Amino acid sequence: MLTFVGLGLYDERSITVEGRTAIADADRVFAEFYTSKLAGATVADLEAYHGVDIELRDRPDVEGDPEPILGAAESGDVVFLTAGDTMISTTHVDLRLRAADRGIETRIVHGTTAEAAAASLTGLQNYRFGKATTLPFPYAHGGDDVPASVVETIADNRDRGLHTLVYLDIKVGIGPSGPDPDHEEYMTADHAAGRLAEPLDAVGVVVARAGGPDPLVAADRLSALADRTFGEPLHLLVVPGDLHVIERDALAELAGAPGDALPDPV
Amino acid sequence: MGRRKKIVQECERLMDAPENIRNIAIAAHVDHGKTTLTDNLLAGAGMIADESAGQQLAMDTEEDEQERGITIDAANVSMTHEYEDRNHLINLIDTPGHVDFGGDVTRAMRAVDGALVVVDAVEGAMPQTETVLRQALREGVKPALFINKVDRLISELQEGPEEMQQRLMGVIADVNELIRGMTEEMDELDEDWTVSVEGGTVGFGSALYKWGVSMPSMQRTGMDFGEIIDLEQADKRRELHERTPLSDVVLDMVCEHFPNPVDAQPRRIPRIWRGDAESELADTMRMVNEEGELVLMVTDIGIDPHAGEIAAGRVFSGTIEKGQDLYVSGTAGTNRVQSVGIYMGGEREEVDRVPAGNIAAVTGLKDAIAGSTVSSVEMTPFESIEHISEPVITKSVEAKSMDDLPKLIETLQQVAKEDPTIQIEINEDTGEHLISGQGELHLEVITQRIERNQGIPVNTGEPIVVYREAPQSESREVEGRSPNNHNRFYITVEPLDDDIVDTIKLGDASMDMPELERREELMKQGMDKDTAQNVEHMFNTNVFIDDTKGIQHLNETMELVIEGLEEALEDGPLAAEPVEGALIRLHDARLHEDAIHRGPAQVIPAVRRAVHNALMDAEIKLLEPIQEVRIDVPSEHMGPASGEIQGRRGRVDDMYQEGDLMVVEGIAPVDEMIGFSSDIRSATEGRASWNTENAGFRVMADNLQPEIIEEIRERKGMKLELPGQVDYF
Ligand SMILES: Nc1nc2c(ncn2[C@@H]2O[C@H](COP(=O)(O)OP(=O)(O)O)[C@@H](O)[C@H]2O)c(=O)[nH]1
Ligand SMILES: [Mg+2]
Repeated sequence: MLTFVGLGLYDERSITVEGRTAIADADRVFAEFYTSKLAGATVADLEAYHGVDIELRDRPDVEGDPEPILGAAESGDVVFLTAGDTMISTTHVDLRLRAADRGIETRIVHGTTAEAAAASLTGLQNYRFGKATTLPFPYAHGGDDVPASVVETIADNRDRGLHTLVYLDIKVGIGPSGPDPDHEEYMTADHAAGRLAEPLDAVGVVVARAGGPDPLVAADRLSALADRTFGEPLHLLVVPGDLHVIERDALAELAGAPGDALPDPV
Repeated sequence: MGRRKKIVQECERLMDAPENIRNIAIAAHVDHGKTTLTDNLLAGAGMIADESAGQQLAMDTEEDEQERGITIDAANVSMTHEYEDRNHLINLIDTPGHVDFGGDVTRAMRAVDGALVVVDAVEGAMPQTETVLRQALREGVKPALFINKVDRLISELQEGPEEMQQRLMGVIADVNELIRGMTEEMDELDEDWTVSVEGGTVGFGSALYKWGVSMPSMQRTGMDFGEIIDLEQADKRRELHERTPLSDVVLDMVCEHFPNPVDAQPRRIPRIWRGDAESELADTMRMVNEEGELVLMVTDIGIDPHAGEIAAGRVFSGTIEKGQDLYVSGTAGTNRVQSVGIYMGGEREEVDRVPAGNIAAVTGLKDAIAGSTVSSVEMTPFESIEHISEPVITKSVEAKSMDDLPKLIETLQQVAKEDPTIQIEINEDTGEHLISGQGELHLEVITQRIERNQGIPVNTGEPIVVYREAPQSESREVEGRSPNNHNRFYITVEPLDDDIVDTIKLGDASMDMPELERREELMKQGMDKDTAQNVEHMFNTNVFIDDTKGIQHLNETMELVIEGLEEALEDGPLAAEPVEGALIRLHDARLHEDAIHRGPAQVIPAVRRAVHNALMDAEIKLLEPIQEVRIDVPSEHMGPASGEIQGRRGRVDDMYQEGDLMVVEGIAPVDEMIGFSSDIRSATEGRASWNTENAGFRVMADNLQPEIIEEIRERKGMKLELPGQVDYF
């Protein structure tokens, strides 16, 4: 049995009770943190909290050589952990399909994800989000500008009055010049706002440390956000489309948006 | 005012009158007398003392050249010569004769308009005569002929006037046959470029004894061959020199028959520059307009102990001056000109400015390498310097002392900058760097230069041959999946036609040229229209075709696709040797919606794998470099001499008598030719003279493939098994 468990947003306590039980019952526990990480907890914190050993896997292990994980799941109960939810954004559906292909039973235990936090912390309605996108580090997509698809995604959403959730790139274990075990780099929202302000003259909403004790939400013009700092990672950015009157109030009241920065509600 | 200063002043005056400028090269088979002749010309022009000409070898400035007696780096000199009451400025580039240094020759040819081909009267036209002539004509450079060492016909071979005439006519006929063959397809020529005595484009003489004649000179001096033979036989060479000095004869011929820049550039620019012919820049270059934008084509980088790096090259338009900020092709930003100068013998003279039509020596162009285009506006660079000479042999170089580690890296980088036919691979981790070049001698000279000029003692490894990998058939469609399985590429590979490969090698079709022109050239060489239209990238001699239509996000992923492709082609699947002659088609692709899930870590391995699998399915084979070998040997040693070729997996193609010697011609793999020089010496008691020329790559025999592939993989520390499993679609 292979159980995919989402650890939730922030630290060792963001997991659901059901997830915690699955870990306690498992023969082996694997985890990957190359796509996202818990900002408020280390692997050691997790191990201590759950009283288990966690076997860390990097990208080449999971994508290139999942054999050890699948082998273990064939004969025992295996849990595979990721931050957030295991099937949202970075989806491990490929691993699940491979397991299914070998007749291994699989199960999902959900975790809270950035997708949920983006709507719930900002007051922007989840019905009104369009396609999401990720803003990569310049070196990570082979160009030095913002990839056209990122700008297009946001522009298309806005044309249709929809909000865009912009994930911000994370690089762990791989740096500008290739694999580097010590490399850890989290794109900040001010950096992202700065890069997007050029092609897009729009409002942005920063969400920092969602799920933690001191989450921050801040709305302003992208160009203004670029000049501020938002503290510890992780950050994400929402570029709103048309604003419903309640959404506009929420951004003004809960995200401190200056009155003249926001468009009129529709 | 010193004499030298006067000459410099005169040169400066002449620089502004392009009609009076001649930019020329002297090209010859090794030892036919190019350097000796050059010294004569310098002496005749008052640049070095008359007495020392013939011994000084002023152009062989590198110490190792003087020792070996061969010319290695193309050096530059300027001199003045009065002809028909007009003073002329003659810019001369010396070129190396040994085939191992072929890259220098091509570069030198691009900077000149006329080439004086020197042929030894006794030996006649030799293989390298053909090579340098071909290089000259390919660059649109007009030839003239000087037959040297005529003194030997008289004094050594004791030939009479008739015999001599016959022999000289034979040499002229051989050279003309080459010229005729090579100029056939040069549509832009409106005159016959074959040489003739009557036309004044052939000179004869002795560079060693400093006399020379031509039809016009004989008419002027009233001397005929009979008189020359008498004087030479009577050992009255000094009188010969005084009555009919070599330098006058040759320099007159240069002024009369070689085109000046104003005549040459309108014809040559379309041949050597691929940019927009309708542009203003094209016009100022054709017109040698010194008021136009500055365009300098760098032919050579030299080092001056005081001034540092010096870029020498031909100014095709505009005027180069100190303080200009100039673009250097292939690099970002600009370089500021620190000083400009002209060459006088081995030395450089600073001047205020060098206008279009001249050869300039420039400091401050720190990004320039031999072959760079330097300009005051961004522009299409001159054709990538043609790759007639790909490296075929590699050697490892390691500093003996830890202290020299950084200096060795710097020196190697410098070496590669000066000589683009050298390739280097720096390995800072092991300190064992790789240096690749044209032959055993080429690498030997370079490493000796590092030891002696830079004072860095080095250990070098055994020379290793460079291989290639090439597909032999058409593959099935292969799928390459990214590690996360969300991105998939569908690829086939097929062999490219030889004609197309040659065209790419010659730089006649490249990504640097306008799309339309490239497409036309490829179609002319037999590529079908749809394929030629979809060319997305070219890498070495491989072409990548994007046959997909309207795949979302493929555009912004293409750079990564190309990175994966280049990785796959740089290190082929058999033995991580470069792939050549492959046509790679992308038929289809599936991409993840989000950029982060189709980043480098996903796309590069997916494409690399797909290309390798397709190459394996296309029955990729290992190719090895081969050389043409020519041995001149007395007939009693002919057996052992041809045995030396046959014993090296070689093939003897021809054996014939030439004079009192037998000539053996054949081919053999470069790998087997390592150590040839000492083997042939002992096999023939030192009586053979020999010459090799790189002749490209050839598929290795099937029965040798597995063994050599395994050998290379082992040497490189690769897994011994070949990549196996392939997913077909
Ligand atoms: N007898 C004779 N020897 C010559 C003549 N010109 C050059 N040599 C000799 O031929 C050899 C090669 O000459 P060099 O100028 O170095 O030839 P390069 O390799 O073409 O530059 C030298 O030993 C010269 O002294 C000539 O006209 N007559
Ligand atoms: Mg020489």
